[in-house]
Amino acid sequence: MRTDAYIPDADGFYEAIIAANEGLTEGESEAFLLRFALLLANQIGDQQVLLDAIRTAREMVAGTPRS
Amino acid sequence: MSQEGLRPAETTGSGYALPVFPYRRPAELAGERRRHKVAVVGGGLAGLTVACDLAGRGIPVVLLDEDDTVGVRGASSRGIVYAQKTLEIFDRLGIYRRIAEKGVTWSVGKVLADDDVLYSFDAAQGSLSKAPPFINLQQFYIEWYLVDRLAELPRAELRWRNRVTGITQREDHVALAVETPDGPYTLEAEWVIDASGLASLIRGALGAKMAAEQGEDRWCISDVRFKTSLPAERWTWAKADFNDGRAVWQHPMADGVWRLDYQMGPNADPKTIADPETVRDRLRRHLGETEIEIVWVGPYGYRTQLMDSFRLGRVFFAGDVAHVMNPFGARGGNSGVQDAENIAWKLAAVLTGAAPEALLDSYDEERRAAGAHNIHVTTRTIRFLAPRSPFEHRLRDAVLDLARRYDFGRTLVNTGRLSVAFDYAGSSLTSNGGTAVPNVPLTLPDGSTGTLSDLLRGDGAIFLVLCFAGAAPPALPERVARVFACNAAIGGLPVLRGAALDRLGGTGEVLVIRPDQHLAARLVRPPGAAVQAAIDKALGKERAR
Repeated sequence: MRTDAYIPDADGFYEAIIAANEGLTEGESEAFLLRFALLLANQIGDQQVLLDAIRTAREMVAGTPRS
Repeated sequence: MSQEGLRPAETTGSGYALPVFPYRRPAELAGERRRHKVAVVGGGLAGLTVACDLAGRGIPVVLLDEDDTVGVRGASSRGIVYAQKTLEIFDRLGIYRRIAEKGVTWSVGKVLADDDVLYSFDAAQGSLSKAPPFINLQQFYIEWYLVDRLAELPRAELRWRNRVTGITQREDHVALAVETPDGPYTLEAEWVIDASGLASLIRGALGAKMAAEQGEDRWCISDVRFKTSLPAERWTWAKADFNDGRAVWQHPMADGVWRLDYQMGPNADPKTIADPETVRDRLRRHLGETEIEIVWVGPYGYRTQLMDSFRLGRVFFAGDVAHVMNPFGARGGNSGVQDAENIAWKLAAVLTGAAPEALLDSYDEERRAAGAHNIHVTTRTIRFLAPRSPFEHRLRDAVLDLARRYDFGRTLVNTGRLSVAFDYAGSSLTSNGGTAVPNVPLTLPDGSTGTLSDLLRGDGAIFLVLCFAGAAPPALPERVARVFACNAAIGGLPVLRGAALDRLGGTGEVLVIRPDQHLAARLVRPPGAAVQAAIDKALGKERAR
């Protein structure tokens, strides 16, 4: 999983995510993020990278999951 | 036919007429002392298959069943989907023709969400086997055909209404306490295969350990006939508005009967969901106003269960006794048949002196791995069909939403991954291979047409060695292997011909195929000793060292 800066226009990307969620309820934003995550997962297409990203996100939120 | 008559099944629907098989006084009760080679306990799918396979290999076998019919009384329908590998095994055992005539052959499946078809597949695409991808047939018919086949095999003895009540393992045999209408007796056998299902007495009596988990998910099967004409396909709804947003299965089988399986709410009460009026309402919502005949209704939950070891001393465990999983993917019955085939050829190899007893340990190694794999696969399916949290629900909604529009979303929709032959790549018997070799059609050396499995029939446990152009002919003892050239003349070997053969192997390759038609080794221009070494390894001779 790469963690160096790789997004060409970071500010533009952040702005676009905010704009896309403008006026959405919390539930709609969650629905947005789930679809966004699944669409991105398919762009990556590398199982190890996906599993690393899942593990890292989980650890950042609540530590290691039960296996 | 060996049955005495027909008896209606005990069910709320119109049911089926099941055969009744005759009880005969066992020789032991007439004072005869016998030491059987192999005793099989339980006349279900796995037990009958293993008995049939052993008897077909010339190994004497006695099968004990506590009942005198096929199908679990009342629950006479049970499994319905028989997958390609299973059909290939039944072809080798000689009951395929009856299954094909009676059952519904299909290969197209559709996966739906409400009114949308998310995707469809055709499992016949790319299939090399002569057997179709799937035939649907009520399980008791298969069992019935196996019983009829066993009656033709002189090495097999079926003992109906013989209930095992106890077991003692001794150094060179097993003693089974058996109860009959004429009283109790002791049956001695060198080896025992316990195929007596979920509630096995033997498993408990031997104190076998297993991991078990009971799920909360509830389903209700309705096997019905109706006037509306539907395609002979497998339709699965991940969610259906006519079933309160829950999953639904729609599958054809023999006698014009359809299996409709409805997911119910968690922990739903079996009596309530199977109430006749409730069932009719549910069917009307699904099928519309049409004349419906209810054949059988079965509410069910399921558990996950896996024995720690599929072998304890002289006892092997096959089928549901060893592994239980949810039915989505048809992996229960199909894996039971593969258990049966696996232990049958190994016992035949050991009992004919072709292999050391160490080969028998590989039954647990190979089939427990298959059981664990099947449990893993079916558990993933149920996690998709029955989300356990609001998050899992929303994640699944996102997947279904994407699946309506994009291919990649469809791959995430999991309404069951249908049974395929287990890959023994990791087995200690495998040199380089492990997959099931498809039962390709071919022309035999005598000019007649057949399939690969025709070459595996006969006494004992025969290996098949296929040589492709450019390979040298290996010299092997005839008792252990049959050697053929494929679409080429190779040093006087008998030649098999057929276009599909060339899909199995390439220039200079030699395939070593086990008696269960799994690939033991794929070798390139091997010296003769390498072929012999691969066979020795597949016979457990390395394990014995």
